[in-house]
This record gives sequence, structure tokens and C-alpha cells, in this order.
Amino acid sequence: MRQMREERKRDREEIRSLEGKVRQLESKDSRVETTTQQLQSTDQKLKETTLELQQTNLKVQTLQTKVDAPIASSQFGDAVQQYLGSHSFTVTGAAGGDFIYDQQSGALDDLHHASQNSFFFDWEPMILYRPADWILFEGVLSTAFGSSGTGVDLSLADFQIFLNKYMTVVAGLFDQPFGDWYENQSPMWVNRFVTAPLPFGVEPVVPPAELGVQLRGGMQFGALGQDLDYTAWVGNGPSFTSPVLGAIVTSPTAVANSQTNGKSFGGRFRIYPLPVDTEWGRLELGASTYNGKWANGNWFNSWGVDFNYFVGNLQTRGEWLSSYRQMPNGQASDNRQGWYVQAGYFLTGLKVPGLPDVINNYLRRFEPLVRYSGVNQRGVSIDDIQSATGVGLGGTQVGLVPDFGINGSPATYAPHSREVALGLDYWIAPSIVWQNEFDIELPQAGGVFVSSTGAQTPVGSVPNDHAFLSEFTIGF
Amino acid sequence: MKPIFVALILAALAIGTAGTRASAQEQDNMSPAEHKRLFREGAQLWPVYCNTCHNARPGSEKAPYEWDQIMMHMRTLGNLPPDDAKAILEYLKTR
Repeated sequence: MRQMREERKRDREEIRSLEGKVRQLESKDSRVETTTQQLQSTDQKLKETTLELQQTNLKVQTLQTKVDAPIASSQFGDAVQQYLGSHSFTVTGAAGGDFIYDQQSGALDDLHHASQNSFFFDWEPMILYRPADWILFEGVLSTAFGSSGTGVDLSLADFQIFLNKYMTVVAGLFDQPFGDWYENQSPMWVNRFVTAPLPFGVEPVVPPAELGVQLRGGMQFGALGQDLDYTAWVGNGPSFTSPVLGAIVTSPTAVANSQTNGKSFGGRFRIYPLPVDTEWGRLELGASTYNGKWANGNWFNSWGVDFNYFVGNLQTRGEWLSSYRQMPNGQASDNRQGWYVQAGYFLTGLKVPGLPDVINNYLRRFEPLVRYSGVNQRGVSIDDIQSATGVGLGGTQVGLVPDFGINGSPATYAPHSREVALGLDYWIAPSIVWQNEFDIELPQAGGVFVSSTGAQTPVGSVPNDHAFLSEFTIGF
Repeated sequence: MKPIFVALILAALAIGTAGTRASAQEQDNMSPAEHKRLFREGAQLWPVYCNTCHNARPGSEKAPYEWDQIMMHMRTLGNLPPDDAKAILEYLKTR
């Protein structure tokens, strides 16, 4: 019994010892499992990190390839645009130098005789500033060396706000949107002649500029090219050098001084009836009106019609305009009419048989032109004719001496002036031209000279002058 | 200024600004096919519209960003229909 108890005791101790070893083994196993899990987790993280590294390397390689590759031409514009920024400037405009030989065969009554030949130069940069795709600012400086020295003037300065597809607001100092001349044909490289037609020259029938606000737009009404457009505006109104018969309308800068209570209202409508995919050419028909009070209480009314047609090498255009000015103190009204028609033909494609190609290549660059213009008015202000306002004023200039784009002939100041202008342009590039013009002045008799006091004397004989003008012009 | 004029101006500005934003977005989202269509239309309009007043000048004379500004100026001056102005601009910028 005793021996059995001792054996049992030893067995129990052995069992306890074995159980302890089992527990130790179990504990070790648990630690091994934990370590294994940690190792697996670390391994997973290592794999993920390796994958990310591979992807990063791939991205770096792709970017490096892009950086190393030359920029495609299609992307270059966008890259430059991005570099320049969203606000951008552009300078455009025109410059020209001319030589004028003016043979004044005789003077107007009591006025001096001023035949001369001279060189002149004019530079008219236009600055365009575009802060966004819905707004543009434009300004034009007119600078010139002329018969009266040098002159600098701001002839255009306005904001253009594109409200929507069919409405644009223009606010500031702008060319008068009356007819085609002031807005579209007056830039020196656009005008086919050196001088302006008589109704837009030294004795303009309607003011050349206005300070105010326009609403304008255009739309297609039929096939491609069949368009119509409108312009409506309100401004400071017309002003004249004096309250006498025959006084001229003032220059663009003087419209700022026309701060009277009588505002002006204008409207212009144009239609282009011919589609572009026909062979009929391009026809423009327009009508304009401009009305307002001058000197706070007297009416000025004007209206006009114009056309422009070109087909192939032929281009023709013309305008007719009329104005009525109510005069103060019971004076008879100051009525004026003016007109011009002109035609030009590009010799592009000409091939004269027998002439070498080199000569034909020169001939093809010529454009012969002819223009007939005239103004009718009852009287002209003698003070306006005698006083020269200088140069670079970008519009109306007076005086019996030639100036840039003005032949200065006394005949152009006659109350019933008429002019035939023959032109020969040589086109070096689409906007670089050497223009030559020969003017034949054919004024008709009649009319009066008006002094500053309003006294009237008959004009008497009017010389039939001739003038030659040659101008080199570049539009940039 | 009378309230009615102020209201009209504000309404016009609101309509206009919305329209402008829409047109800018349209231009950004144009497909290559639409670019091609505009180019072809611009090539047809360029000699006709420009020559109405002056000799048509080639697109290579100016940088594309300059044409952006010049065409805004010409759209106003010529009262060009906006879609036609857009087509001519596409043609001039592509050169």
C-alpha cells in the first residue's frame, strides 16, 4: 500500500511536470504564431510598398519622357498663351509717309495762294487690351509730322463689352457709325486713295466722331453670308466751330467739349443679301441716320444710304448723305448734301502677251481706281478756311495748305465742290501699299463766304486746281 | 437715372454674362470634328468678309493670341455674326 502511494505520488508529480512542459510548449507555440503573423503582415506591407515604388518609378519615367520630348506644334500656342497670361495686349494700326504736290492755279477771293510740294508722315498705333473673352479695350493715337509741325491726339478710345451673341456695348470715344467711311474706310491702308472723299474731307457733312454709348450686333438670316446688322447709339451730340452758316463740324477731340443738354441719337442698318457660296460676289446695302441738338437747342438731322459691291477683281462703293442744321436767331437753315462713288480693279491674273513674266508679275500688283465726289452747301465759313488747326488731329483739318491725306486745294472748300480722283495703287502685300492719286478739282459756281459775324459775300470765281499725292502705307 | 433704365441694364448684363460664359465653355469643349467644320467654314468666309472692307490678311501675319483680340475688334467693327466670327478666327489661328 505504502509503495503504491509513493508511486502514485511520483506519477502525479510527473504528470504535473508534464503539464508544465505542455503549458510551456503551448506558450511557445502561441508566440511563434504571433511572430508568424507579424512576419506575414510585414511581408504584405513590403509587397505593397514595392508595388507603390514600381508605380512611382513608372510615373517618373512617363514624366521624364514628356519633359524630354519636344512640344508638339498643336500644343505650342496653348503653352505660349499660358505663359503670357489671360490678360493680353496687341498693337496694330497703320503708318504712312506721303508726298503732295499741290498746284493751286488761283486763290479764292481774298485768300492767299499756297501752291507747294511737301513730305508728311503719320503714325496711328491702335492698342487692343483683352482682359477676358467678353471685354476688349481699344485706343488709337494719331501722331503726325505735317505742315503745321507735329501733333499727337487720341482719336479713338472705347470699351467693347460682348453681352451675348447679338448685343455688344461700345462705350467711349468712337468713330461715327454713320455710313461706311468713318468706321471702316478711313484707316490709311484701308482707304484705296490718299485723300478722303469730299463729304468726309475738309467740309464733312456729318461729325466724324462721337463720345457716348453704342449697342450693336449682327446675325445671319438665311444662307451662309446672308447677314444683317444694326448699330444704335447715343452721344454728346454735334458741335460746330461757330453759330454761323457754313461752319464746319468739329474734330474728334472737340466732341468731348460738346457737353450740351441736347444729346444725339443715331441708328444704322445694313444688309448683305447674297450668299457666299454663289458666284455673285458680296453686296452690302446700308442706311444711317444721326440726329441731335447742338448748342443746347437747335436741331441737327442727317441721314444717308450707302452700298458696297465686289466680285472677282472689281470693287465698287458709294455713299449719299444729307444734313439739316437749324440755325439760331432766325437764320435760314444750313443744309448740306454730299456723295461719292468709286471703283477699283485689281490686275491680279493679268498676263500681257509678249511681256516677260517678271514684268507681268509687277503689273499684277497694280490696282487702277477712279472716284467722283462732291458736296453742296449754301455757304462756307471763311474763318474755318483761313485757320489751320494743325496736324495729327485724326479727322477734320482745315487750312489752305496740304497736310497728311489732304491736298489743301481752295477748290475743296468751295460751297459746291466737285472732285475727280484717279488712283493707281501698287500692292506689295495685303496691307502694304504704294498709293498714287491725281486730283482734278471741278468746283461749280455759287454759294457764299460767311464771316464770323455772319456777313455773307458771294464766292466768285473758284480755281480748278490739280494735285498729285503719293503715299507709302503699311497696316500692321 | 430712372430705375427702369437701371433694371434694363442689369437684366442685359445678366443675360449677356450668362451667354458669354456658355460660349466660352462651348469653345473649350469642341470636338476635333467641330474644329474641322469651323476651319472649313472660316476658309470660305475669310476672303469674302475681310475683303468687304480691306484686303484679307493671312493668319500667319499674327500670333494666335493676337487674332483673339483682333477678331474681337473686327467682330464689333463689322457687326459680324458671332458664329461666323468664330469660324474665321479658327481659320486664322490654324493658318
